[in-house]
Amino acid sequence: MSITPVQRPGKAAPWLNLGPRVRISSLLASTLPALISVGVLIALQADFMAVLITFFLPLQLLAGALAGFFSYGRKGIMDGLLLVTTFFFASFVLVLLVSVIWSVVQSGFAALSPQFIFQNNRYITGKTGLEIGGVGHAILGSVSIVGLTTLVAVPLGVFTAVYLTETRDGARGLIRTLLQAMSGLPSVVAGLFIYSMLIVSGFTTRVGIAGSLALIPLMLPTIARVAEEALRLVPVELRNGALALGAPSYKAFFMVTLPAAQSGIITAVLLGVARVIGETAPLILTTLIANETNVNLFEGGMATLPTYIYNYISLGDQTSLQRAWGAALVLLLFVGVLFLLARVVAGGGVKRSRKKKEK
Amino acid sequence: MMDQQFHLESKDINVWFGERHVLKNVSLQFPINQVTALIGPSGCGKSTFIRTLNRMHELIPSAGLAGAVLLNGEDIYGEAIDPVDVREKIGMVFQKPNPFPTMSIKENVLSGLKLSGRKIDNGAELVETSLRRASIWNEVKDRLGEPALSLSGGQQQRLCIARSLAMGPDVLLMDEPCSALDPGSTRRIEETILELKDSMTIVIVTHNMQQAQRVADQTAFFLSEDGDPGHVVEFGATNDIFHGPIDPRTNEYVNGRFG
Amino acid sequence: MSLQSPTIQRVKLRNKPSRTADKVFFGVARAAGYSSIVIVVAILFFLSIRAWPAFEQQGILDFTFGSGWDTTTTPPTLHIGAMLWGSFLIAGIGVAFAIPMAISIAYFIEFLAPKSIAKTATVIIDLLAAIPSVVIGLWGLGVFSPTGAGWAQMINQSLGFIPIFQNESGTFLRSPFIAGIVIAVMIVPIIASITREIFSQMDKEVINGAMALGGTRESILRKVILPTSAGGILGGILLALGRAMGETVAIFFVLNLSYDEVNWLNILEPQGGAIASLILSKFGEATNDEISALLAAGVVLFIFTLIINAVASYIVAKAQPWRKA
Ligand SMILES: Nc1ncnc2c1ncn2[C@@H]1O[C@H](COP(=O)(O)OP(=O)(O)O)[C@@H](O)[C@H]1O
Ligand SMILES: [Mg+2]
Repeated sequence: MSITPVQRPGKAAPWLNLGPRVRISSLLASTLPALISVGVLIALQADFMAVLITFFLPLQLLAGALAGFFSYGRKGIMDGLLLVTTFFFASFVLVLLVSVIWSVVQSGFAALSPQFIFQNNRYITGKTGLEIGGVGHAILGSVSIVGLTTLVAVPLGVFTAVYLTETRDGARGLIRTLLQAMSGLPSVVAGLFIYSMLIVSGFTTRVGIAGSLALIPLMLPTIARVAEEALRLVPVELRNGALALGAPSYKAFFMVTLPAAQSGIITAVLLGVARVIGETAPLILTTLIANETNVNLFEGGMATLPTYIYNYISLGDQTSLQRAWGAALVLLLFVGVLFLLARVVAGGGVKRSRKKKEK
Repeated sequence: MMDQQFHLESKDINVWFGERHVLKNVSLQFPINQVTALIGPSGCGKSTFIRTLNRMHELIPSAGLAGAVLLNGEDIYGEAIDPVDVREKIGMVFQKPNPFPTMSIKENVLSGLKLSGRKIDNGAELVETSLRRASIWNEVKDRLGEPALSLSGGQQQRLCIARSLAMGPDVLLMDEPCSALDPGSTRRIEETILELKDSMTIVIVTHNMQQAQRVADQTAFFLSEDGDPGHVVEFGATNDIFHGPIDPRTNEYVNGRFG
Repeated sequence: MSLQSPTIQRVKLRNKPSRTADKVFFGVARAAGYSSIVIVVAILFFLSIRAWPAFEQQGILDFTFGSGWDTTTTPPTLHIGAMLWGSFLIAGIGVAFAIPMAISIAYFIEFLAPKSIAKTATVIIDLLAAIPSVVIGLWGLGVFSPTGAGWAQMINQSLGFIPIFQNESGTFLRSPFIAGIVIAVMIVPIIASITREIFSQMDKEVINGAMALGGTRESILRKVILPTSAGGILGGILLALGRAMGETVAIFFVLNLSYDEVNWLNILEPQGGAIASLILSKFGEATNDEISALLAAGVVLFIFTLIINAVASYIVAKAQPWRKA
């Protein structure tokens, strides 16, 4: 005797049948206060925020509580209030955050053009319009300075992660604590550090390499932390398998552990770059801003995207602000791409290891 | 038999997870003051079924359900029935003890009342009777203020039972309450069940054949074969199921030949 | 016996050629690990020796808690008390705004939203946490400041009888209030992201237990979810507070720095302070004395953020013994 499965019918969720009381009261509670408030807003020509806080919010809270009461009795009141406050706070801050993104996209797009991406600011004076000049030199500067930081911080961070995961050294606790402290280091202090160590002492002037060095303590903790997590996720059996075959530790690491943690390490690098690419204060203190293209880290000033933005905000006139918005859009795109790449790499890694397990 | 009203009754319960049909036409009757054991191999849908009895099932996003569960003749899935009310009347004890980690032993016992916003008068008395009924009072009476996590696993599970009892439920559902416990604790919980059944209806999922025979008045055998949805193969008095099963598959299972 | 000795032999044979290589490998790893010690020690050492003249000239207590920034006196008066208090005030306003919003978002994502929306929202929140602060500063200056000034004016008009909402200057721009909200926008994603993570790691069995006892949404949140995750959330809030204290450019453009006088609580007045912004604003044309004082300000800032972060990680580690590390 076999039991044939039955296809799931369209209505297989009796708990969605809330009954007319719940449905009507939640419908009224979610629409009426907003409608009345819009009416008041139009009728009185009042300020939006004023109506929102002094009229809509109390009304909506009352409506939420009433709806809760009609649906579920006394205990429904608090649930109604909770839902209203949660939605209100969440959407309020979401509006602010979306406003950040939206204004960058909108104002930034107005400044964007091919020449804005590729040109430098050599011929800019106070009277030059947006047709001339761009962030080309700042992009190159960001890439050079952050590139050098990455070259130093990635091996340092990955080997720190190796130290934390593969050795039994007694100082691991201390080093974890210090990494944590470093991750809380205010970026302006990182700038002051390099300034006091190298520039006041006269070892170097305010050139690109000073900026690169200032970014290292900011990037290192991110890379070490994410890489450590990635290495920890590699199954012990895998590594032990290699060791059991008689491989020396370093070979086991480079041939087994590291490839298995590959996507995690790449994520670490991407997140590390995303962490420092927008850093402004340390670069202002350590690298002179230039208008010309310069990729020599050891000589001359160098613009980067964040310091470019800072510089043009400080100038303050209309055209300068537009340039700042344009550069902000470019910077945001960089961060977004890095971030999404990190997600894709991390997601792909998970999928791949899952497939392996299924086999 | 036709018109007899049972305390709790499931009528043609069918369950889907997404498009997958996992329970088919489960109709069981749970008379008042009786213990019903649900047995069957892993994955045949016992946990899923018992969760439909107090509307915990619907918390899983892909869940689907058809059929009815009658408590005193009224469908708990009826329109405008608040699941919160259902769960107040039908308590549940989970496989893994889950006392609230931030609360003391005493607060855990009273947690249900606080969660459902009920008034607590003579709390101390309620704490004592609930813990006594769960036969853990003597072990914890001097340390009621200590965190619940300071108890052993078996004590935690009995604390969870006491927590449900404090709500004064009509029905108590237990999903493999002893599977994470040592034999001593298991014994204590079985004794507790036998004492409790005078005041409520109990449904218990168990993998332990001896346990089912020790505590249950009636037993239902669930089975899901070759990816078919789970269903009840045989349901009757515990003695009949274990000593004179009609279906050969029941016979094989209770005698430990598969599953 | 006869079985064991060849095994020992083999291990020795296989191990020998690679020993140096392994030694180098672990040596490099150890060196990389110790580099953190070197960096932190170097930061403290170089900042301190360059900052020392300022501490000595001004006196540590006067420097840290006095106010006034005047290079025309001899010796110059370089005190950062107003800036230090301002950092706390602005970070406090920011955190106060951010907490309810961040917890609401996290609760919404983890317990209310359908799976697909929750997933997208998680990505968006993490992405928002990565917005560079200079971009937030630009937004604060160009977009938010006028709006925020309008809000401030409304608060002043309706609640002006309360001392902290008074305003004698007539302008509502560049106040600690506005800087605080800009900071809130910056740290909401941080707190929300940490809180969501903590909510998602909560033992779902415990929440199921609360539901099976007839708990309502609100009572489960208040009695079970929040108490269980309080330690982690508090730790996240303190981390965000540390970030807010150290924030430079986002505040720099939306705050009027006033060096001479501490603005204790008049949050709508256009005068405030922030150590990091002080460093940025004075750095350009600083005298030697000032440079030393700015480095000293950096030391003070670093010490306070260190304390906040240490407390944060202590709370995260200790407050929830029931969660596995
Ligand atoms: N949350 C879920 N989502 C999808 N399928 C599930 C879920 N829970 C259980 N199942 C499936 O339903 C069937 C019954 O599971 P369960 O009720 O846990 O069995 P039992 O408790 O008898 O061991 C199993 O095939 C299982 O894979
Ligand atoms: Mg089960």
